[in-house]
Amino acid sequence: MARARYFIIWKELDPARRKIFQVCSFVIPLILWAAISYCPAIWHPLMKVSDPGSIGHFRVDALIEKGAFFRENAKALAEQRKPASGVPANPVYLPAPHEVAASFYKAFVTPPRLPDEPWLHESLWHSIKIILWGFLISSVLAVPLGIIGGTYRLFSYLTDPFIEFFRYLPAPAFAALAVAVLGIYDGPKVAIIVIGTFFQQVLMISNTTQRLDPALLEAAQTLGARGFKLFSRVVIPGILPDVYRDMRILLGWAWTYLIVAEVVGNSTGITWFINQQAKYRIYDNVYAAIIMIGIIGLTTDLLLAWFGTQIFTWKSGKRSILSRLRTVYTSARVKQALPQETP
Amino acid sequence: MTTHNLALPSYHNQSPEVRARFQRIAQRPVVLKVEHLGKSFESVKGTVQALHDVSFQVRRREFISIIGPSGCGKSTLIRILAGLEEHTAGQILLDEQEVTGPGPDRGMVFQGYTLFPWLTVLKNVMFGLEVSSPIRGIAGITIEQEARGWIDMVGLSAFADSYPHELSGGMKQRVAIARALANRPRILLMDEPFGALDAQTRAKMQSYLLQIWKNVDVTIIFITHDLDEAVYLSDRIIVLKANPGEVQEIIEVPVEHPRRPEQFLSQEFLATKKRLEELIHPPREAEELLPVVRMTQIGDEVY
Repeated sequence: MARARYFIIWKELDPARRKIFQVCSFVIPLILWAAISYCPAIWHPLMKVSDPGSIGHFRVDALIEKGAFFRENAKALAEQRKPASGVPANPVYLPAPHEVAASFYKAFVTPPRLPDEPWLHESLWHSIKIILWGFLISSVLAVPLGIIGGTYRLFSYLTDPFIEFFRYLPAPAFAALAVAVLGIYDGPKVAIIVIGTFFQQVLMISNTTQRLDPALLEAAQTLGARGFKLFSRVVIPGILPDVYRDMRILLGWAWTYLIVAEVVGNSTGITWFINQQAKYRIYDNVYAAIIMIGIIGLTTDLLLAWFGTQIFTWKSGKRSILSRLRTVYTSARVKQALPQETP
Repeated sequence: MTTHNLALPSYHNQSPEVRARFQRIAQRPVVLKVEHLGKSFESVKGTVQALHDVSFQVRRREFISIIGPSGCGKSTLIRILAGLEEHTAGQILLDEQEVTGPGPDRGMVFQGYTLFPWLTVLKNVMFGLEVSSPIRGIAGITIEQEARGWIDMVGLSAFADSYPHELSGGMKQRVAIARALANRPRILLMDEPFGALDAQTRAKMQSYLLQIWKNVDVTIIFITHDLDEAVYLSDRIIVLKANPGEVQEIIEVPVEHPRRPEQFLSQEFLATKKRLEELIHPPREAEELLPVVRMTQIGDEVY
């Protein structure tokens, strides 16, 4: 019944199989992409001309729609002229994986067309700076507000209705305003990200705060904690890992506002690069840049997730490197102590 | 097992030793005085009287259990004593002082452990000492030593640096007891503390608790729905009835000290338990019969 095991609800797979499937989640789309790119039988709606023959308006390497290509050839054959030859090809906006892979390197070493334009790494760094500033400003305001709103009903009633209303207003709608107030450089871009992130952040963190186990607050009260100590010694440490997790999710959301933010005012950063390359019809660079955003996002998130398990060892149940060292030391002592109930 | 049909002596019969002990208890000062306590709240169905005219006194180092059928308000009562809920009538006097709101003089142990998961066992036990010490940081070392003493007492010194998620249920509850006792409360309130534990661990915890009670200057009020547990642990048992929650009877347990598991089958023990059963589950006419149709073959009987 080995096959049936995969279809038990919520049944965890063994680590080796889990790895295989996780790798497959990237490999399968890659295979699909490769199949469309390299298998001439799949799609390939165009013909790439290798020899124009007698057909006057065909050029070598030109991409001709299949119907037109064969019509012209049939006409040429009927008139006893030399037909054109060519191979099936995909449109220019769908480059093959190897072309995109090559672009990853090529895009970084290709100098910009105009001397005052930024290199790719400069564009990327500019984007990252916009995200970080936007996210930082949003967090500095939203985290305290969310925690206070989640702790004291007064603040929750005072802020929630307005925030619920405001979060439905699309951040890009404020673009024109942001330019008017903050000029055309980085100011309005950061503002779009702040507007896009802030309201969700307040609600999410307020919600997280409210999900703290009330029994812990009661226990602390019976131990003599009250007022601010209750807040600083129970509420804050109790919600910290969940707030951290919220921040990871929200950082991902901030990236989704980036492309909109970067076309506000003068276009900059990775968005400028993408639009510029699309204008030159270098689509492999466009794909490379889009994938780069994904890689930066995923890597950041994985790093933050790992970092989270290191700080909040009590939450994840996983052991930090530090605590593993400690365990080696304590278990030696436990063995000497009386055999207790086993945990 | 029900004791309704057993022929037993009256639970009022006390051996001379037991009677002498109750007389000694009566000499001790009253720690907690609950007077005409009432609690009502508004609901969709109108006013609900959760507790009505509950009065009793607890003397120093007594072990009192509160039992009653579900819905009798025993949890509400202990939460009011802890200050976690407000009462709507009567008053509570702790050492002749009226109490309102929670405070470290009334420690509480909850069924759900409620250890702070982000703190180690040691830091959990230090929590109360730290938050209630008047000046921040006074003698941090003394606080730690004091906390370690309590952890030693519940037999968990090897786990002082472990986190709660690394402990079993019984161990967590021992930490919770140590944490509550570290504040030196006048009264230790325990709300079905062993309810979530398996039978074996529960028996062990009962014996730990009796040992702790014997050696620490603390008065215990213990909520349970387990009749054996109530009889085994308590000096007196307050029996509540439901709708509204009222005191039905306060029973002096005639079982001798020190308590031992063998006493579960003694005459006094069974007599007390019989009385509790009469109060909490009055005898019914006959066993309720389910309308089950026979679905097995004749001859294929299980009994």
